[in-house]
Amino acid sequence: MPRSCDTLSAPSCPDLDAILARHPAHPRYLLAALQDIQAAFRHIPREAMVRVAAHMGIPESRVYGVATFYKALSLVPKGRKTVKVCMGTACHLRGAPGVLEALENALGIAPGDTTEDGAFSLETVNCLGACALAPVVMVEDTPYGAMTPARVASMLEKERDHAV
Amino acid sequence: MKTLSVDGKTVSVESGTMLYDAAVLAGASIPTLCRHEGLPHEGACRVCMVELHRRGTVRLVASCMFPVNEEGLEVRTDTERVRAARNFVIRLLLRRNGDSAAIRRLAAEENVLPDGRLPALEKELCIRCGRCIRACSANGTDALGFALRGWDRKTTPPFGEAAATCVGCLACAEVCPTGHISWEEKDGHRRIWGRDFALVCCEHCGEPFATEEQLAFLRAGHPSDALSPEEERFCPRCRRIRAGQSFTLEEVKDR
Ligand code: FES
Ligand code: FES
Repeated sequence: MPRSCDTLSAPSCPDLDAILARHPAHPRYLLAALQDIQAAFRHIPREAMVRVAAHMGIPESRVYGVATFYKALSLVPKGRKTVKVCMGTACHLRGAPGVLEALENALGIAPGDTTEDGAFSLETVNCLGACALAPVVMVEDTPYGAMTPARVASMLEKERDHAV
Repeated sequence: MKTLSVDGKTVSVESGTMLYDAAVLAGASIPTLCRHEGLPHEGACRVCMVELHRRGTVRLVASCMFPVNEEGLEVRTDTERVRAARNFVIRLLLRRNGDSAAIRRLAAEENVLPDGRLPALEKELCIRCGRCIRACSANGTDALGFALRGWDRKTTPPFGEAAATCVGCLACAEVCPTGHISWEEKDGHRRIWGRDFALVCCEHCGEPFATEEQLAFLRAGHPSDALSPEEERFCPRCRRIRAGQSFTLEEVKDR
């Protein structure tokens, strides 16, 4: 599923109709449909929730409940790349708070937010399962181990090139 | 029928009866918060825990949701373990919902004191029992749901906006055990969940008894739920009185 489209109307996006057409009109497919919408639009637009509810014959309150329940789904647009800073025990002990602070300063956003240019979203997670590399930062699928505040700038530089 | 023992007393109940109802029948008293007679049970609050002895195992179950489907169950409603489980839940509720009279009353009844070692939390009334959501869903309006999760979980209309499918019936406020759901009435209008509803008054006694939207919702739904145009003019109480009069002898009418 492409993660590279920007708005509901971007021509490269598989549009909402196509996503809905792929999922049978049964509440059981609610989460799967929302995941596809998140992947295509990088968030769950309000309009999409209304359409999903009508398509599956369930109340909007239920769709809204599921869309807000899962961390993987977001109601506000996510950046083209998500930077996950591990705050698990091992990473915490090896300096993750400093790395996070450096990232917050470099991006000018707090965890949970997205940069104005839509390039990056910042998130914290609790253990990425790679404690030997602590402290770990993940940008999309790329892990950066043994991170230091000093390496934050070069990491972002490298990732930003790909992002545009 | 299935026979079980509750605190040593033997009772027989219809198969499928919940342990809670069976226990009450046997004279036990069990506290509840999220259970409501007229709604599907959800087992959200866990204050109704009882000890269930079954086929050689002992465990705690939520009595409001556990159906009696077999012979020979043995239930204990007042053991050390039951009290510990219940009190633990009540202590958590006290911490977050210490402002709620209902929670404080429950704590007093169960002799639970607030845990002084923990700092007080923001005071709020909602205990996330979901009764309002179940009531709204049972009505078919489905204007409410849970959003977010864990500590942040809350009851809200979809999208955090004014409740589009709400008809202002107050069923949610009616079933709320803590009085968290508030509404206002003035100048012939009721305001709840961010919306205004026009009140309909009884032609006989003048009391408001429904909203325009509520009557319209009934009209649009199943024909058997709708009120006749005649019925829509009077409140339930006056409706009953009028119905009663129609059976009464002519001479005693209007007495
Ligand atoms: S604590 Fe960071 S990867 Fe485990
Ligand atoms: S009353 Fe049984 S879990 Fe709430």
